[in-house]
Amino acid sequence: MTVERDALGFDAPAPLGHPARAGIPEGHVPGLAVGERLPDFELPDANGQPIRLHEDRGQARAIVVFFRSAVW
Amino acid sequence: MSRDDAMLYGIPFPGVFVTDENGQITAKFFHDTYKKRDSPEILIDAALGRVTLDEGTAQVEAGDTEVKITAAIRGGKGSIRQGVIRHLIVRFELAEGLHIYGEPVPEGMVATQITVDGPPGFTVMDAIQPPTRKLHVAGADLEVWSGTVDLIVPFYATGELASETRPLDMNEAPIEVKIRYQACTDEACLLPRTETLSFSLPLDVIDVPALSLHMGHGQREGNYNSMPAMRRLLFRKARAYPPGFFKYLFKTLKLSLASRKRAQQKNRR
Repeated sequence: MTVERDALGFDAPAPLGHPARAGIPEGHVPGLAVGERLPDFELPDANGQPIRLHEDRGQARAIVVFFRSAVW
Repeated sequence: MSRDDAMLYGIPFPGVFVTDENGQITAKFFHDTYKKRDSPEILIDAALGRVTLDEGTAQVEAGDTEVKITAAIRGGKGSIRQGVIRHLIVRFELAEGLHIYGEPVPEGMVATQITVDGPPGFTVMDAIQPPTRKLHVAGADLEVWSGTVDLIVPFYATGELASETRPLDMNEAPIEVKIRYQACTDEACLLPRTETLSFSLPLDVIDVPALSLHMGHGQREGNYNSMPAMRRLLFRKARAYPPGFFKYLFKTLKLSLASRKRAQQKNRR
């Protein structure tokens, strides 16, 4: 596998131009803005149990993380 | 990601929302590339509305009893990884009655300035500053901070310094922080000062999964085999939309061949 560096200086195993390396298009604003309320949703947790964001966090603050290939 | 890339459509672009008790978004962390990610410690600090000087990590001090300066790295125990954002926190503790300046300042006065230098690939982002207080002195409008002030300089490494796909060139990166400031009371000013602080930050070796795609790049090969998960994903995607699966394979093959060709041309030069 050839490793190539992208225009921002990052190395990754996928070739340049591969959809896995796509960035946010210029001018695109991802998701809701600060001040808006996150919509409620239900997703399975790591054990497959459904979690509802607003119901299951109680009155606590939340950190909602979308991630992939978690070299973090 | 385009819907044409149906094979990968639905895989999220990394990003983080932080909410308050009512579910309202108080902070949002998205970057221009999936390679940039904020350290978990920074996300927790954002949720708790605090700035933490991590005592367990690299920390240096300067200044005197009037102006005490502490600089520390927040996130990853002060280590560096490709694309992972850490914070350099510079905390000023100003004696009663003293203030320092934010931009802009009238001619002859010195605004607080932090410059951070490191090896090639060490990349500094825009500073995060708390709001200033307005002060009107001798006909001039000034932006000032007093008390305890935390100025934050986010930074990350690109592949040149800390690649995750080739062996690292060094174990630690030397970082130099220059802090220029002028402290004043409402009546008089101390002379401007410049403090220079040094850090040596360890570079992290990445655990890569046991996938042919990742292996053999010189990073630490993890003891977890992600092949079963990858096989399940490919099977699910191929079953859901067979043309998309073959389109994906064709595209990947085409791009890989082009990538190999570029590498060969580079080697010939």
